[in-house]
Amino acid sequence: MEILTIKPTKSTPEITLDPVNHIHTIKGESYPENSMEFYRGVFDWLDEYIESLDDEQAVVFNIELIYFNSSSSKVLMDIFDIFDDACEDGKNIVVNWIYEEDNEAILEYGEEFAEDYEDLKFHFVIIEE
Amino acid sequence: MIDSYYNFQQQLEREGIMFSFVGPVSHNVVEGVGTVLRNKLELEAVSTNVSLKVFSIFVEQIQNVIRYSADRIPQDDFESEISFGMLIVGEKDDQYFLIGGNRVTVEQKERLDSFLAKLALMNKDELKQYYKDRRKADPDEHSKGAGLGFIEMARKSSKPIKYNFEAIDDTSYYFTIETVV
Repeated sequence: MEILTIKPTKSTPEITLDPVNHIHTIKGESYPENSMEFYRGVFDWLDEYIESLDDEQAVVFNIELIYFNSSSSKVLMDIFDIFDDACEDGKNIVVNWIYEEDNEAILEYGEEFAEDYEDLKFHFVIIEE
Repeated sequence: MIDSYYNFQQQLEREGIMFSFVGPVSHNVVEGVGTVLRNKLELEAVSTNVSLKVFSIFVEQIQNVIRYSADRIPQDDFESEISFGMLIVGEKDDQYFLIGGNRVTVEQKERLDSFLAKLALMNKDELKQYYKDRRKADPDEHSKGAGLGFIEMARKSSKPIKYNFEAIDDTSYYFTIETVV
């Protein structure tokens, strides 16, 4: 598989999906005009990636968003659903929820995601300023 | 007609209005005006929390106008959808207020009215649960986003959201919604 990189814009995040190091990152802002359309490529990539993933392989997914709108929140949930199912099947995926200390809303929304999943684990990481 | 534009601007300022927009909106406006709004709030040394709450309501409100206003130019003609509506952001009594407005059909009015009445009765915990439930469900046929925008606005607003429908003619209403941070 090839690495997928998407450059950031004002309303869309920087995305790096790396099948070699198995460290993936979504970083920045997310309020696209059409979230489903914007993230379609990410879902296609992830489907193929999870299919080819060995159970022993440690996978880290970094979510470092400053702000995301409600339709992006739906997209994030769909991504975590895929990971949670994969973890249930024995895959080894963790989410790092990375946030700045004074961004309470992002922390709160991360905690709300974390409490909904049993197999997928969330680590909360404060960015040091 | 407006006989003095200076008076007009002063009147808006007296109302605490820092930003008002009436006309065609597209995603470019969300990005451009949103950035200005955030910079302005940063300059006022508002906390990140408040600034992001105002920005969040701004985005949901204006994306609602773009998606649901009954006055629109189809996307096929341009890169993005263009819809007509109103957006006001202001500050009064140490609180920020955001007012959005657009024309809706009678059918949209019926749906919005019962949906918003339901939201108005919920406390923050109930809104959180409803947000989660709705996020899990497939968006309904009338929704172009995830159908979560109004719930998000209600969660971020420090008072219950106020809304109003003003009859324009037999087929449409002018819908306004007001939130406070």
